[in-house]
Amino acid sequence: MTVESGANERGPLLPLVAVGAAAGLLSGMFGVGGGILMVPAMVLLLGFGQGRAQATSLAAIVPIAAVGAFVFGRADNVDLVAAALLAAGSLLGVQAGARLMHRLSDDALTRLFGMFLVVVAITMLLS
Amino acid sequence: MSPEQLGEVVPLVLIGLSAGFLAGLLGIGGGVLMVPAMVLLLGFDQHVAQGTSLLVIIPAALTGSFTHHRKGRLVLRGAALVAAGGVIGAVLGSVFALSIDDELLQRLFAGFLLIVAARILLPKGLFGRDRAQRSPAADPDAGSP
Repeated sequence: MTVESGANERGPLLPLVAVGAAAGLLSGMFGVGGGILMVPAMVLLLGFGQGRAQATSLAAIVPIAAVGAFVFGRADNVDLVAAALLAAGSLLGVQAGARLMHRLSDDALTRLFGMFLVVVAITMLLS
Repeated sequence: MSPEQLGEVVPLVLIGLSAGFLAGLLGIGGGVLMVPAMVLLLGFDQHVAQGTSLLVIIPAALTGSFTHHRKGRLVLRGAALVAAGGVIGAVLGSVFALSIDDELLQRLFAGFLLIVAARILLPKGLFGRDRAQRSPAADPDAGSP
């Protein structure tokens, strides 16, 4: 696997900041990372490969989630016990997921990403 | 921890495990799974579920990013630019979320998921054109097994 990124994947400055702002808005509003918006935006609008878009999204999520967690925490809307338990599971899960990601092609990742969104949406509709 | 919370220990760890797996695999935070699971399965308030989700996302995204970076997939400049816009958006979004009531926030969340799903599923033509236009030089990962 090559380390250098293609010209398209550098991405222009303003669109990247704009995608971040929109993802941050969703992240703060809905308690999600914002990757659900960043990944499709980077792939469809900015020409990133699916794998690179996903890796870049996950890194950008760190400061975005930190800001949201701080604002919600100040308003006493964070359950620290639940957070510790969830984090214990997610730290194990994220390593398994990240390693699997690097074994899959961009096409397979795109299909997985789409299917995942459909499952979530259907679950929300049926509840 | 109250007695009723004790019964939530295993479900919470399992929800975290699933959310972390998705975060690493799909480059998302995992909140899109954690928030509905906490609200629908464990009866959390929408606001508390969202705030807790955001806190949990931080260590998972950090360690997952480290793994991606080692594999050479992470575009640091892109991540920095996206994060620069993202922190401003996150302040506005979270302040807005705190200003509306729980039921409305839950409905907005469901609507948000539907819009994203439709956007991903419907524009098959757009996906096809993008792939056809993308040259192998511009996308070294395309077609890799």
